[in-house]
Amino acid sequence: MTAFWPIFKRELFAFFVTPVAWVLILVFLVLQGLHFYLLVDHFASQPFVVEDETPLSAFFGNTVLLYLVLFAVTPTLTMRAFAEERRSGTIETLLTAPVSSAALVLAKYAAALTTYVAMWLPTVLYLVILRRTGSLDPRSAASAYLGVLLVGGGYLSVGLCASAITKSQLVASGLTTLVLVSLFILGLGEFVVREGTTAHEICAYVSVWGHMNDFASGIVDSRRLVYYGTMIALPLYATTRIVDAWKWG
Amino acid sequence: MISVSHLTKRYGSRLAVDDLSFEVAKGEVVGFLGPNGAGKSTTLRILAGYIGATTGRVSIAGHDIANDSLEARRSVGYLPESVPLYPEMRVIEYLRFRAALKCVGRRKRAAYVEDAMHVANVVDVAHQRIEVLSKGYRQRVGLADALLAKPPIVILDEPTHGLDPNQVRDVRSLVRELGREHAVVISTHVLSEIDACATRVVLIHRGRLIAEGPTDAIRELHGSRPVEFTVRGGSALAASAVSSIFGVSRCDVDSACGSDLSTLRVTFAPAVTDVDRGCAVERCVAELVALGIGVRRVHEPGGSLEDAFAELTREGAHETRAQSDAGQASE
Repeated sequence: MTAFWPIFKRELFAFFVTPVAWVLILVFLVLQGLHFYLLVDHFASQPFVVEDETPLSAFFGNTVLLYLVLFAVTPTLTMRAFAEERRSGTIETLLTAPVSSAALVLAKYAAALTTYVAMWLPTVLYLVILRRTGSLDPRSAASAYLGVLLVGGGYLSVGLCASAITKSQLVASGLTTLVLVSLFILGLGEFVVREGTTAHEICAYVSVWGHMNDFASGIVDSRRLVYYGTMIALPLYATTRIVDAWKWG
Repeated sequence: MISVSHLTKRYGSRLAVDDLSFEVAKGEVVGFLGPNGAGKSTTLRILAGYIGATTGRVSIAGHDIANDSLEARRSVGYLPESVPLYPEMRVIEYLRFRAALKCVGRRKRAAYVEDAMHVANVVDVAHQRIEVLSKGYRQRVGLADALLAKPPIVILDEPTHGLDPNQVRDVRSLVRELGREHAVVISTHVLSEIDACATRVVLIHRGRLIAEGPTDAIRELHGSRPVEFTVRGGSALAASAVSSIFGVSRCDVDSACGSDLSTLRVTFAPAVTDVDRGCAVERCVAELVALGIGVRRVHEPGGSLEDAFAELTREGAHETRAQSDAGQASE
């Protein structure tokens, strides 16, 4: 695992030395800023306040914009990870150094996750603004950010696995978006499929919309933790197996 | 240091390496030779731990490459054929990253990077980004990377590819120097390179070992190649006279149509030394002249490694073809 740090640092370096990461963060923050502005504007124009609805819960849970941004951002963060190393051949120097596949996969994942967190970090300012102008439940805010971290963590893990499958960044990104959007649509089944059926339960279990609504309201359900824990661990494990399998390809 | 036994690598139905066995000891520079597609790079990649063998065993510095891969890889400095590098990094950043990856301690890292840059002669581009470097410099950055952690085993896949003649000379002397304390495996198409720096040659063709031995021995393996005499007149007389000279084992006559010139191909006995061989050639000429036969030309196809390579790989091809013919016949 001694190889973890050097690879982690190099990955971060590779993200931030090129304009791609900065452009991505810029676009992300502009979209989120717009999103936040529209919500605050909406709440400000309401004649009376509904008890359970706050700008915070709406920002993290009630609108589709959050997911749309994630579907675009997470595949972009992970598509390079292995696809580019394999296309350029640098994977050969990496895998002939004393580096275990687990250290390699975890380092790349940690770097993508750190970048993802860095993208979200400036949005904490929104909370400062909300707190100055009204009331804010810090525990709900923490739970909402935990939700954002878990959902992003799961998405990045899927993206990393897709990047290990193919040598093309475009295919890796397309594949990730396909899986994530399919999961999202399956989750929407929660609102369509008749309640009480197994299908409804499955849809509700994977519904990211439902999950984020809970997190944004300050509810941390252990089922969600297990779900996202699995969604992070399983693709990462598959990725290490894929990296090992290249030897025999 | 390196022990390869019965190594086989199969890509689907294609056999890339076929039952290859050889050893490399400390203090040896082994030249890995073979025509394109012979399985050189595949073998080197297996030695470096990048790809797995289908069957067979590879031991690197006492560690099995399959079961104890990390330890084995720790003992190897490897320069891949294509020299893949990260273009966005500066040379010194790249080498520091590689040093950390190769478990060079934090305190030693700066000194090791400095040493490797000096040895590979890339100090003047240390702060330049790799993407702006020429092919020659990139090659040398790759070389610096291979030598970085001061590994006991160095594997270089075509290390002089893309270098100018001066740089080639530098790399050759570097390899020779490395060979004193390391086990070095070097693959190249440039045979003079093997001639210049390898102590031993492993010649493979179509994944199979064709010849192995000290560079001199491989060259001498074909030292018994025939010497050609182009003579005028009396070819039968000339042949019988030459055949009787000491050291000559065989004399074939090749008469050119429509002229009185003919070529005598004189083969010497394998035990004949270079000196005796030279004397025998002189005696042949003297004898022919004494018989009134004109000697137009004496040509000795050099016993260079290049000739040995050409001949051995041709023989290997014949052999393989003969085997496949026999296989088809038995079917």
